[in-house]
Amino acid sequence: MRTRYLRSGIVASVLAAAMSVTTLLSVEARAQDFPTKPVTLIVPWPAGGSTDITLRAIAEVASKHLGQPIVIENKAGGNGTVGPATMAASAKPDGYTIAQIPITVFRLPMMQQTTWDADKDFTYIVHLTGYTFGVTASAEGPFKTWKDVVDYAKANPGKVTYASPGAGGSLHIGMEQVAAKDGIKLTMVPFKGGAETNAAVLGQHTMLQADSTGWKPLVDAGKLRLLMLWTAERSPNYPNVPTLKELGYPFVFDSPFGLAGPKGMDPKVVKVLHDAFKKAIDDPSIKATLAKYDMVANYKNTEDYVKFVKEVTDSERKVVDSLGLGKKTN
Amino acid sequence: MRIDNTELWSGLAGLALSAFVVWSGYTLGLGSINDPGSGYVMFYAGLLMILFSLIILYSAIKDGGPTFLSLWRNVLWTKPLIVIALLIAFTLLFETLGFLVSTIILLIALLRVIDPVAWSRAIPIAILVPLVAWYVLQKLLLIQLPSGAFGIG
Amino acid sequence: METLNLVAQGFGVALQPINLLHCFIGVFIGTLVGVLPGIGPVSAMSLLLPVTLAGTPESGIIMMAGIYYGAMYGGSTTSILVNIPGEAASVVTCIDGHQMAKQGRAGPALGISALGSFIAGTFAIILLMLIAPRLAEIAIAFGPAEYFSLMVLGLVMLTFLTQGSMAKALLMACLGLVLGLVGLDSINAQPRLTFGSIHFIDGIGIVPLVMGLFGVAEVLYNTEQSLKREVVSANISNMFPNKDDWKRSAGPIGRGTVLGFFLGVLPGGGAVVSTFASYALEKRLSSYPERFGKGVIEGVAGPEAANNAAAGGAFIPLMTLGIPPNVVMALLLGAFIIHGLQPGPLMIAQNPKLFWGIIASMYIGNLMLLVLNLPLIGMWVRLLKLPYNVLFPLILLFTIIGVYASGNNVFDIYVMIFFGITGYFMRKFGFEPAPLVLAFVLGPLLENNLRKALILSQGDLATFLQRPISAACLIIAVGLLLSPMLPTIRKKREVVALDSEAS
Repeated sequence: MRTRYLRSGIVASVLAAAMSVTTLLSVEARAQDFPTKPVTLIVPWPAGGSTDITLRAIAEVASKHLGQPIVIENKAGGNGTVGPATMAASAKPDGYTIAQIPITVFRLPMMQQTTWDADKDFTYIVHLTGYTFGVTASAEGPFKTWKDVVDYAKANPGKVTYASPGAGGSLHIGMEQVAAKDGIKLTMVPFKGGAETNAAVLGQHTMLQADSTGWKPLVDAGKLRLLMLWTAERSPNYPNVPTLKELGYPFVFDSPFGLAGPKGMDPKVVKVLHDAFKKAIDDPSIKATLAKYDMVANYKNTEDYVKFVKEVTDSERKVVDSLGLGKKTN
Repeated sequence: MRIDNTELWSGLAGLALSAFVVWSGYTLGLGSINDPGSGYVMFYAGLLMILFSLIILYSAIKDGGPTFLSLWRNVLWTKPLIVIALLIAFTLLFETLGFLVSTIILLIALLRVIDPVAWSRAIPIAILVPLVAWYVLQKLLLIQLPSGAFGIG
Repeated sequence: METLNLVAQGFGVALQPINLLHCFIGVFIGTLVGVLPGIGPVSAMSLLLPVTLAGTPESGIIMMAGIYYGAMYGGSTTSILVNIPGEAASVVTCIDGHQMAKQGRAGPALGISALGSFIAGTFAIILLMLIAPRLAEIAIAFGPAEYFSLMVLGLVMLTFLTQGSMAKALLMACLGLVLGLVGLDSINAQPRLTFGSIHFIDGIGIVPLVMGLFGVAEVLYNTEQSLKREVVSANISNMFPNKDDWKRSAGPIGRGTVLGFFLGVLPGGGAVVSTFASYALEKRLSSYPERFGKGVIEGVAGPEAANNAAAGGAFIPLMTLGIPPNVVMALLLGAFIIHGLQPGPLMIAQNPKLFWGIIASMYIGNLMLLVLNLPLIGMWVRLLKLPYNVLFPLILLFTIIGVYASGNNVFDIYVMIFFGITGYFMRKFGFEPAPLVLAFVLGPLLENNLRKALILSQGDLATFLQRPISAACLIIAVGLLLSPMLPTIRKKREVVALDSEAS
């Protein structure tokens, strides 16, 4: 079914439109007792991927501090940009609709025409954590190590395909950088998140999968082989799996993410949301959940997050340009 | 062949729509065969639509079809118009008046317009049904409905 | 033997009073949201998910699952009674189901869909018990090329749904496909056909589309009829299917179950495809295909069995691979995870009690649904005795509620009105809405998978013929297209005659 279905259930968010006669005073009053109804958190990935799982856990705890339920709305597509783009375009900045902001939101506008401007169209709330990325292959396939892949790609130029959640994602960019270093070609096939990339590599429709830790249960069950991780250090969960650095690539990719709402949110509302989510990622149960997925809390407050967005945009521009993926019109 | 043949105009409308789809697909970009673009499928779907529209046109010219007049003869064509107008008016006022008030008004209007139901029946129906619906949605299924400027419901 | 042991253990879990209660609440809510058009299991499940956190994982998941298959039961009710499909999977049921109601046979139609659903649901659970792990292979055997070909086959089967002009049906199917592409391109986030409006960024919602084309259009079309006062025949003959109905339905239910179960395993549009695959199959096998679309019970029994069996099949990729095949399953996955469980290849081995408990509860839940639904049939049928001037306003009210509740967005109501007007004219000019809606659901899958398949094959179209499953789908599709060529030409005169008669 289509993701759009999901919107079905999910309540409230856009509803504040009903209060059409908004005076400054009443806004003030409403900001004071925010939230009075469920908050919708848009997760721009399909349910069941690692982002979805961790955000659901975080939202569960945050909702206790918020005093209102947080309803997760999965709005996948465009490599994690469709959700935030839709929110920026259509949601009211009342704090009842917020979205996860993956790094692609900053990067995609550099690569093509988009409907949003990462600097202007969002109110950044809090920075939460980052992903652990890895490359897997089917256990029934020929690849046992990353070296096998490189050798095969050299012998069969253009034949190696990998499933990844969409063009311009950190995984796409990362794989491009790895390929560029070895002088090989890896063909990216865009899928819609962890559930689909898992199925693609399991069924050997693609040779590899480059994704965040949604592959964990399948790797643990021995159905997929984890070839490498993109973390700085080896993961305690997979002590035998080498990192990019150990394989001779001078990169670490973690693709950090946080939360934001549409532009023009009341700072008081932002603070309420920030506090609730800050408490959530400090919660020991969340720390444990994150660790299960090899993620580490990476808290930044509202101010630092905004600064961070600037830095990321600058560094991303360099990477995108160096790979020749930049928007042609610029 | 008659010019008020509805089949003919169905075909022409289909043709216009297909042309728009083909053009949209083309402007969105066809991409290449090894990396099809956003407009690739739309473009070819549009071409197929042109084909089917032409078939409709062909059989309209060859076999004819019902006329506009025959389709709207002996019908109360004002009724659908009134219903549409009522629905649009309802939608405009829905969030301002709130769920309960607006649906009750809409129901009364519809009950009296389509084929008048006696007031003694129309009023209880128009009040009870929205109330029950509101209770089930808002209280049992936790679905939020607009309460409107008066805060009723 | 070991399986039997595990099943017994599962029933031990499912029969605990607390789990029985949760199962009942689940199927009850499921029936409720299934009957309300537009409000699907997704709404109810996502809102009630937090509520389930209080109990044990078993009872929470038993309840969520109950909502899902319970909604599948109720989904056909409005299709049959008032020609409004509650969801894409019951569009096909409208075609013959509503015709039956018009002929005073709403009781048998509802009865066969409840009993057919029960049989299909139960059978699907048994299959699930016996071969779940092995079927996981089917789910992953379908890559982009296979999906594309399956969708092509699906679109070809759409032509079986129509009784009128083939060209018109195909034009509508293409239009549906294009409408399905509106919104941001899921591969590169390009806006398509949004006309610069933010409301279309998210695409056109299926609920307003269906409610407009079926519900509103139906009412508009009927309000202008000054003479035909009866929506449905007043003399309602009998409540339950008679012996002859049963004899004719047995085959369709059996075949529908098998089709639904296996197609339901596939992530994506499996359940929807299975409903009209079943319809096409029955029409093809029938000795009186010309009566399809005019109220034959086979056209209800087959598709209804298929969509309920598909609901069972859909559990397989989730339970065995952790891959949710549809949005509802994704929500269920969320429920597992919030309860600290990770569905995947290891789950059945690590949590046998939970897995078998859920399966057993589905068996019990199906029984509850049957007991719950059979007495309701009488009530539904009585609803049809409402005079049309009361029924029409109520239908409009419920379509509005369904559309609004599905997205909390007033714009969707305008979309519904727009498609209501469109549907009114389509009906006037002899275009049928069913192919449009089904292509609308399948179109985006077709597009997305075609593009992925071509990226994978580096633009080599032969990939669709080299892969066996894909080739098989395409061969069947071509066969279906060619085989009825002769009869259609012969039947053409008949159809034209009918058309002019209608005018």
